[in-house]
Amino acid sequence: MMKKSLFGIVALASFMALFLTPAFAGDAYLVGFSVAVTGRGSGIYAPVKDAFDIYFKQVNARGGINGHPVKLIIKDNAAEPSKAAAHAKKFVTQDKVILFMNAALSSTYAPMVQVAKRYNVPLFFAGAVCPDAVYPPKADPNLYCSTAFGAKYDSRFAIPFIKNQAKGPLKLGLAAMNIPVSRGEIDFAEELAKGMGIEVAGKVAIPPPTPDYTPFATKLKSAGANWVYAWAPWGCEVKTFEALRKLGWKGKYLAYAHIQAEDDLARLKDDDFYVFGTNAFFADDTEMHKKIRAISVKEKTIYPYTQLTEGWIAAMVLEEILKKTPWPPTPEKVRTAMNQIKVDLEGLKGGPLVWTKGNHFRTVNYYRVYKWDSKKNGIVIVKDWSPLKVE
Amino acid sequence: MQIVVNVIVLAALYCLICCGYVLIYRASRVLNLAHGELMTIGGYFLFTVAIGLGNDPVQSFLLAFIFSLALGFIVYFFLMRFMAGESALASVLVTVALGILLRGLITLIWTSQYRHPLQHLGMENSSHQIVEGAVISTFGIAMVISTVLLYLVLFLCFKFTRWGLRMRAVGENPILASQRGISLHMYYALSWGIAAFSVGLAGMIQACDSGLDPDMFVIGLKAFPVVLVGGLDSLGGVIPAAFIVALAEILTIHYISPQASEVAPFVVLISMLLIRPWGLFGTKEELERV
Repeated sequence: MMKKSLFGIVALASFMALFLTPAFAGDAYLVGFSVAVTGRGSGIYAPVKDAFDIYFKQVNARGGINGHPVKLIIKDNAAEPSKAAAHAKKFVTQDKVILFMNAALSSTYAPMVQVAKRYNVPLFFAGAVCPDAVYPPKADPNLYCSTAFGAKYDSRFAIPFIKNQAKGPLKLGLAAMNIPVSRGEIDFAEELAKGMGIEVAGKVAIPPPTPDYTPFATKLKSAGANWVYAWAPWGCEVKTFEALRKLGWKGKYLAYAHIQAEDDLARLKDDDFYVFGTNAFFADDTEMHKKIRAISVKEKTIYPYTQLTEGWIAAMVLEEILKKTPWPPTPEKVRTAMNQIKVDLEGLKGGPLVWTKGNHFRTVNYYRVYKWDSKKNGIVIVKDWSPLKVE
Repeated sequence: MQIVVNVIVLAALYCLICCGYVLIYRASRVLNLAHGELMTIGGYFLFTVAIGLGNDPVQSFLLAFIFSLALGFIVYFFLMRFMAGESALASVLVTVALGILLRGLITLIWTSQYRHPLQHLGMENSSHQIVEGAVISTFGIAMVISTVLLYLVLFLCFKFTRWGLRMRAVGENPILASQRGISLHMYYALSWGIAAFSVGLAGMIQACDSGLDPDMFVIGLKAFPVVLVGGLDSLGGVIPAAFIVALAEILTIHYISPQASEVAPFVVLISMLLIRPWGLFGTKEELERV
């Protein structure tokens, strides 16, 4: 008798596994996500996955989108191109996703872009550097990006900001990581600065596995820089700053505000360490920030809530795309929705995120500058949202 | 003058890291390619203990030292012991696999976030002016002092203690040493323990000086040219080699290009391989084994 019931349970479970799961999958919006949860640089990308987990748990608990649940197929590519390539192919050929996403080092892009183009399925970059093909005027029809930072745009805000802030003669130091995207942006910043009549005192491109940042900081300090601008991965930006301070450098420092910036401003408590970016800090304490904080605490996210904004924004964009994709969804319908998207980010950025047919980055980038204020014992806004048209 | 200080601090870091490479190689002829991961874990041990104990640097460091030392013994007894008698290449491949495993464990346990043990130790990494125009951080000083002490203790032990003599004997002729009643496994394990301790110490100081993340293991690999320049089986060779490589790197940053500093250690290495392939103080016969 006991044996028979056990057999019955196993048979029922097998039946459910075989037939009911595909029925659920067929009823859901299927989205593939290849993300570097482990591997090089995963400190930036893993929190994006964390945000997606909690965001779509809430969405599905509310009944999904247009009456259908969202099924995310999340795979860890460990920042390895070969794994990213295998994921992309599986998403498109086996899982039949309507859209797939990437959050990993740029070395994983080429094989995924190739799959997107070959199978004509949209590829959405979330939290990773935006590839050139998403910028206007002729964005690639299958590539989209919601990541906060944007090469060739960020420095257009940063250099004039430094010029306006500097009192007295300005000698600018520039710091990059020795990777193409960071070096390219700092070269661009150098051209901009020279064009504005700013003296560029020194420039360093720091190799990624560097044990000691002091020699690079020594070069900037001995060049006489009184302002330093850094556009690089956060570890490189903040370690260069700390090395400069260890050398007794008294100048001011502006860095791009990656997801760890808010925590580090509070850790360092340095009044002359400025960070600029396009995402609002939790120090603003808006309704949306309160909501993210509450959900993060409730769901016990792996990463602190201060690092979830980037992923949350990408998740909001994805939700809006799926809302505008009529059932049954196809990559073609998703693309149509993505080409005319306008997402109200409810205070997480200075304005809505808008994509058009020719611009898959955003039509306007809003920048804000934060720093630590010892008198107020907290993070303050130095310059409020400043729009920069992306054309 | 600052350049001189920078060279000394970087050379001290390389000495701490490379000590373990040489000890393991000398004792068991195994090239440990999981050395960078052992360094990173040392940093994470300190971070974890510091959180647990809170504002108690002495106890935190002591416990982290013990954990690092124990990790070396564990790696030997649960993994490398079974490779005794196997080909050197097989052992090296096992250390590669060990590195991958440790990296995975680090991310699983501590995630990929940047960590700052100093926050939990209640310490500050202040700057100290040594002479006019030369500044060094607290943990820069700690790095130099630790290196001097470690090498001094190791040299004295190898020269004047019984276990030092036995360890040298195990490295030079394991069969003969074994026949004389020396427990090979014990001395191999000891070399792994000291190696994990020294590289773990480097990881702890590095974590206090500039933070901690799983990518720190690359620094362990970056120090590898120093071992080859000094001679793979020469502990004494590590010191001049570390100074030569650090000097080449820092002079390249200042007088050629910061970008080129990445290749400077390899230029030194290639030059050494052309002139003296067994390294500054290495044994000529070792080259064939490598």
